[in-house]
Amino acid sequence: MPEGRILNCTAIERSFGGLKALKGVDLSVGQGEIVGLVGPNGSGKTTLVNVMTGFYPPDAGQVEIFGRRVTRLAPHRVAKMGVARTFQNLALFRGMSVLDNILVGRHTHMRPSALATLFYWVWAQREELAHRRAVEEIIDFMQLQDIRDEPVDVIPMGMQKRVELARALVAEPRLLILDEPMAGMNQEEKEYIARFILDAREERGITILLIEHHMDVVTALCDRVTVLSYGEVIAEGEPNAAISDPAVVKAYLGERAARRRTGSAA
Amino acid sequence: MFFRRAGISHTRYQQERQLWPLPIDRLTVLAVLAFLIAAPFILDRLYIVSYLLPLIIWSSAALGLNLLMGGAGQIHLGYGAVIGIGAYTAVHMMRAGIPFELAMIGGGLAAGAIGIVFGASALRIKGLYLAMATLAMQYIVDFVIVQFPAISGGSQASLQVPPVSFLGFPIQGDRTPYYVALFICAMITLFMLNVRRTSFGRALVAIREKDYAASIIGVDPFRYKLLAFWVSSFVGGLMGAVLATCYYRAISPDQFHLDLSIQLVAMVIVGGLGSVLGVFFGVSLILFAPILLNQTIALVADTTGLTLPMDLRAHLPLMLYGGLIMGFLLLEPLGLAKIYSNIRNYFLVWPFRHSRQ
Repeated sequence: MPEGRILNCTAIERSFGGLKALKGVDLSVGQGEIVGLVGPNGSGKTTLVNVMTGFYPPDAGQVEIFGRRVTRLAPHRVAKMGVARTFQNLALFRGMSVLDNILVGRHTHMRPSALATLFYWVWAQREELAHRRAVEEIIDFMQLQDIRDEPVDVIPMGMQKRVELARALVAEPRLLILDEPMAGMNQEEKEYIARFILDAREERGITILLIEHHMDVVTALCDRVTVLSYGEVIAEGEPNAAISDPAVVKAYLGERAARRRTGSAA
Repeated sequence: MFFRRAGISHTRYQQERQLWPLPIDRLTVLAVLAFLIAAPFILDRLYIVSYLLPLIIWSSAALGLNLLMGGAGQIHLGYGAVIGIGAYTAVHMMRAGIPFELAMIGGGLAAGAIGIVFGASALRIKGLYLAMATLAMQYIVDFVIVQFPAISGGSQASLQVPPVSFLGFPIQGDRTPYYVALFICAMITLFMLNVRRTSFGRALVAIREKDYAASIIGVDPFRYKLLAFWVSSFVGGLMGAVLATCYYRAISPDQFHLDLSIQLVAMVIVGGLGSVLGVFFGVSLILFAPILLNQTIALVADTTGLTLPMDLRAHLPLMLYGGLIMGFLLLEPLGLAKIYSNIRNYFLVWPFRHSRQ
């Protein structure tokens, strides 16, 4: 494992009522890695991410980000440490333009106040314009120039996903958690996002945890994957090896398919 | 058309982010401002005192409510009480000899402090439940004001506002109160316009739309919901002081009852939630539609020689007024501001048919 742990989850447990969603999950991400988190529907991937980012406190276990315990920290405090995430279902702010949505991403770097708003010209303007520059850089990076001024609810879904990724990137995170950034996209849109993810690591040095169902994307992008099923880690390691692990094939395709595969391999 | 956007290209962020990027809009604003400043000299005193002054004062107050309802998405059914707290605090301060400028701020601070206590319930509850909590605030404040003679001066009493002055101008006669209200209205309007282009305003919208997404961006929902209640209550309290000093000149508890709160909510919704211009439209409609309808019906009845029964003649304007509000909301749920922007966008591309945004 590479030096410099960015994210370390140990023995995370979380249940909802009688349902044990996570049963002692371990996961770690090192500096500069792209780690995939995969698993069938309902295996606990999003729950695990919600535990990491402070939405659900875990029943047991520890989360460490950048070497600091964040187990009971509220989401906005986790964000201030340099963690950004996107959501499986789009979570853009309707009623604002694409530009303003991305500007919200600069929140942790700005000093918002009602008084500064009243005295905009002497107090807030300089700050607003400085951050506008950072936002324009991301707009160039994500190729969103054409739709900059559009209201965010009228642009196509593929573009909305891209805006959400831009909003996460503009916060200059050190750790970026992407929850199915390519759900519902066609091949071309997927390739665009894949390139943006790789560029984010190369040019900005961001460490990435990626939840994704498209196995071609996962094997192409990720350095390592962790496979979850029913709240447990069933495989871990190099992507191709991990997803052809018999336990993983069984979890996705059922017992018979797993037997047929091992049979043919033998 | 006169609205053309073509040929106007901004080369600096600063130009693009100004309040009115189109020259025609800046001209319109200047013209309206010039008219409002000149109004006391060109209009009859009746128009100033009974139409323009209430329009300006209620618009400023409704702008405060609009920040909370349209901006941060939190409903408030006790805004009349917030205004009442500001008015009573300021009047008591002025009667104790404190100058109007400070009493105004004091009224705002008192309303903000009490408003934030009830607003804190917004951290736990949403929608209808928050409506109930703020409604409770309305009744509690009403009750306290009436029950404590130290505040109300007795249940039937009204408190006179002593003679005061604003920045050296004594507030008396017709013109000075108008100009004081206009100045404060301009400040509040500028603030509300600026809210939309600063990180403060964007954080409020983020909380309104998706508070979980806002929190992982670093916006503390707790802090910003309270801030929204605080700022909006402060504006309400401030306007309570202005209302008492420049318009009512004597206050009594019945001026700040639930019907005022409902009327303010109606102004904001009819005008268009979240729109600054819409608030002015909404307040105009709610204030003037009954008067206009009344006069129209009287005129029609007189010219056609139709004799309407007295009670029908009294109730018909109210029925039409209710119908009008429902009609507007069915036709355009986003309010008068949206109707205005539809018309404006039509002319922006005229004679072509399709408009952006």
